[in-house]
Order: sequence, then C-alpha cells, then structure tokens
Amino acid sequence: MSRDRVAVVGAGMTKFVRRAQETGKELAWEAASKALESCEMTLDDIDAVIIGSAPEAFDGVHMKSEYLSDGCGGWGKPVIRGYVGGGTGVFSPIQGWYHIASGLFDTVLVICEEKMSSCQPHPQGAFLTIFDNFTERPLQPNLLWIFALEMNAYMTRYGLDKRDIATVSVKNKRNAADHPAALLGDANITVDDVLNSEVLAWPVQRLDVSPVTDGAVALVMCAEHVARRVTNKPVWVEGVGWNLDTAYWSSRDLSYPVYVEEAARMAYKMAGITEPRKQIHIAEPYDPFDYKELHHLEGLMLFDKGEAPRAAADGVTQRDGDLPVCPSGGLLGVGNPIAAAGMMKVAELFWQLRGEAGARQVPGTPKRGLAQAWGDLMQVGTVIILGA
Amino acid sequence: MGLLYRLSKPEQAIAWEGDMPITSRYTMGIAGERFFRAILDDEALWGTCCPECDVVYVPPRLYCERCFAQLDEWVEVPNTGYVYTYTIVHVDMDGNTLEDPRIMAYVRLEGTDGGLVHFLGEVDPEDVGIGMLVEAVFKDKAERKGSINDIAYFRPI
Ligand SMILES: [Zn+2]
Repeated sequence: MSRDRVAVVGAGMTKFVRRAQETGKELAWEAASKALESCEMTLDDIDAVIIGSAPEAFDGVHMKSEYLSDGCGGWGKPVIRGYVGGGTGVFSPIQGWYHIASGLFDTVLVICEEKMSSCQPHPQGAFLTIFDNFTERPLQPNLLWIFALEMNAYMTRYGLDKRDIATVSVKNKRNAADHPAALLGDANITVDDVLNSEVLAWPVQRLDVSPVTDGAVALVMCAEHVARRVTNKPVWVEGVGWNLDTAYWSSRDLSYPVYVEEAARMAYKMAGITEPRKQIHIAEPYDPFDYKELHHLEGLMLFDKGEAPRAAADGVTQRDGDLPVCPSGGLLGVGNPIAAAGMMKVAELFWQLRGEAGARQVPGTPKRGLAQAWGDLMQVGTVIILGA
Repeated sequence: MGLLYRLSKPEQAIAWEGDMPITSRYTMGIAGERFFRAILDDEALWGTCCPECDVVYVPPRLYCERCFAQLDEWVEVPNTGYVYTYTIVHVDMDGNTLEDPRIMAYVRLEGTDGGLVHFLGEVDPEDVGIGMLVEAVFKDKAERKGSINDIAYFRPI
C-alpha cells in the first residue's frame, strides 16, 4: 500500500492546571495558536481540523467538539472529532495521520482539550455509566474499583512489590518538576510518600493516581512535501495502531492488557520494527496510575510480563536509563486532562526527537519514540510511533 | 423480532433507573468574565474587535475565529439594535401551554457583527416585526448577578 508520508511539524500546549478560568474553547485556542506559531504557520495554511476530547460530561457540554470548534480553528473548515475515551489523546494524531496519508489533506491541526473542573462534585459521577446498568451500577461502583481490582490482579499474578510500583509515581512527579506546564512536579517526592498516602481502594493509594486537570494540547501535521518546506526537523509518523478488548471488564485478563499488545503489533508492523526493545528509544505509555505505566510497558512488549516493576525500581526507565519512560512526567506528574494528557505524550516525543525538550531532554540522540494511551471502557489501546 | 418484545407498558419489563449524579460549574472564560462584569457593574455591553478582519464580536471573544489573532481591543457597544428574527413561544419545555406567550428575539446589536438572543418586553406579540428597533432593559443593580438574565428584556424604542 503506498501512502503519503506524514510528519508532525509543530506542537503547543497550555499549562495543565487544577482549575482554569478559561473556557474550553479558550484553552483550545491557546494550545492551537502556540502549535501554529511553533512552525510559523497560520490558520490559512490548515486544510482540516481534528478535535479530540473525552466524555462530554466532563466539560458539561453535549456536542463538545462543535462547541469547541471555533477555538480549534474549525471555522469554515472540514472538522471531525475522534473519540475513544482516554485513548483519544493518541488516537487524534492517528486520525491526523490518516487524513493526510489518504491524500485527502496536506495540513491538519489536531487539538485535544479537557476541562474537568466543570464537573461537580467530581468527574467520578460521569463515569458511572461505563458500568453495566444491571449487574454493576446498582452496586454504586466507584471508578477506582476497576483499577484496584486490576492492580491487585497484576500484583498477585506476578508477585509484585508495591514499593517497586511506587517508584513510577516518584519518577514521573520528579520528571515533571522540569516541565514548565506541569501541575504536579515534585523534585523531592519519595517512595515512602507514595506508600504512606491515603488508601483509596486497596491497593490504590492517593499518590498512585493522577489528578483531575484542565488543559489543552495541539499538533500541526503535514504531508511530506509541505513538511520539507516548513521545517528542517520534521518528526515522522512511522507507525499507528489501535485495538479494543471486550466491553465486559469482568471478562478480561486484568493482569495483562492484550489490547495494548495488539495495538502495538499493528504499529510495529507498519513501522518495520522487529525488535522494539532495541528500536524504541523513548516510551510515553499511559500512566493515569503508576501500575498502568508498567502494565502498558509489558503490553507494548518493551518488558517481559511481570518484569517492568523491577526494571523501574532498578532505574532502567529513568530519563538517563536504558529506556527513558515518561520523560515528560506523564499524567502522574504533568497532569491528567484526559485527551489532552494523551496528546501531551505525543508532543513530548516531538520535542524530544527534535532535541527541544530542554531540562527534560533525554541523553544521546533518540531517533524513535512511542506514545500509548488507554481508555474507552478501560479496554482500548492506542499507539503511535514517531521517528526523527 | 423486535415487535414481539414490544412493551405496551414500561412496567412489563424489569428496569434499573439510574442517573448521572453530576452538575456542571461553567466559568465564563477570560472574555466572558469581562463581558458579564460590565453588565453587572455598569449596565454596559462590550465587544472585542479584530481590526484585521474588521469584525466586532458580541458576545466578545478572546480570539478571532477567522484569523486566530488574540483580541485585545475592547469596544463598548450600544445597547440598541434591531430584531433580526423572532418567535412567539406558546408552550414550555414540557409542552404545557403558557398563559402569556413569550416573545423571543435575536437582536442584532448596532455597530457589531453579533447580537444576543433575548426576550422582548413592553410590546404585544402582534406589534412585533422584523427590523424593529429595540434597546436592552437592565434589572436594578441589586438584582443583577452577572448573568444574561441581568438584562430583563429588550423593548421597542
Ligand atoms: Zn481576525
């Protein structure tokens, strides 16, 4: 199959904050203008707009992308919203890729936005409907139940030490201390801080979890002939993949995200990657919980099953380790405005592969990175591979 | 097959009734905050202007949706305009007949490229027409809260 090559040529983001005064549109506009500015393009240069945003109930706006569209530069242009729940932040640039790879458009502006602070008393309430209406909702489930049951299944299956898992939270919050847009950077946090934090639903504790956040991120993507004109440092989309597991979470293997493996296989195949552990130089897996980063690293086949926690504790995934993981600070450190958080990871790869990540820059000259997000009914994996 | 399982009464099937227990707290944003504060404090309507596109946005926007420039030029606009279109509302949201039908109009504000949708007052439905000149009537300061309802209605001038 012959397809046009697609590059990311610009990126921008708002600060991630607990409570933004800006409307969702205003957040989207700030991220989008920064992305355009970063590659010296204007709205006139953009052929189509892609908007990524997670559940409508968070912003409290039905038809959310239509509402957001003017802040996303959608006025008078072909606009589409992609939506795969928490997986949206990585799926939106995948949509950007196929809009261009199909030959339909040369330039696409991709914006992911989330304003969770609108949702009162807590976005948890909006998540209730992801549970089965009959077998689960009458039990008044809390979203944390899924994660607590999954984390326990993962820990028990592989005999994992919670102390090793907590090192992920520490690493990401410390990495985020170097991110100018981060909500939760903390250069001094320790494993004991995590292990001593409030128990929410055992084994999940307060500092194992990323917080409710407001923010937006944008990317500019182009066909090769435009990218060559716009920049001398295009970052290419080398592979994309996505995959969905059963909608019944009580029918899944909770100790291993097989849907992430399937998504990764699709992306690796497209990118011609046969040995991901050698060929991927930076990974930004989805880390709304510390154990999820590890779970996903295993699904991505970057570590053997049950081996990621030990490797993390040994420093392999530190910014200067053999495989830097979430050098951005991830969701645990930068914050978790759902769709925006996922695309922040893709923006981080863009900056890292161009050598523009400042204090967060991983050493050496990384040539290829992978970002992954996870969501829908906690059973979608979305993967993108970028290369310098 | 669907027809065989048609319910003639909802109670025929077991059901679970659930709601989504959330409410939303919407901030008005950077431009919106300023717009509603001016209504609250000064009975004044403001817009933002894009000199590049020659557009005055009311309600004001922080950015121009045409060229994406940040809009820093604020202009006070008249509280007068004309009825661009209108309707006479006879039933409420639940379909109940209103004792007094309400006149709802889209008012284009003078000297702007925007306008407001609001009620018309001090006028009978049969006297309303497209093109009619109207002005905003503000509630007393004590009653204003920084909301679109701080304007009681528009009335003919
Ligand atoms: Zn303009």
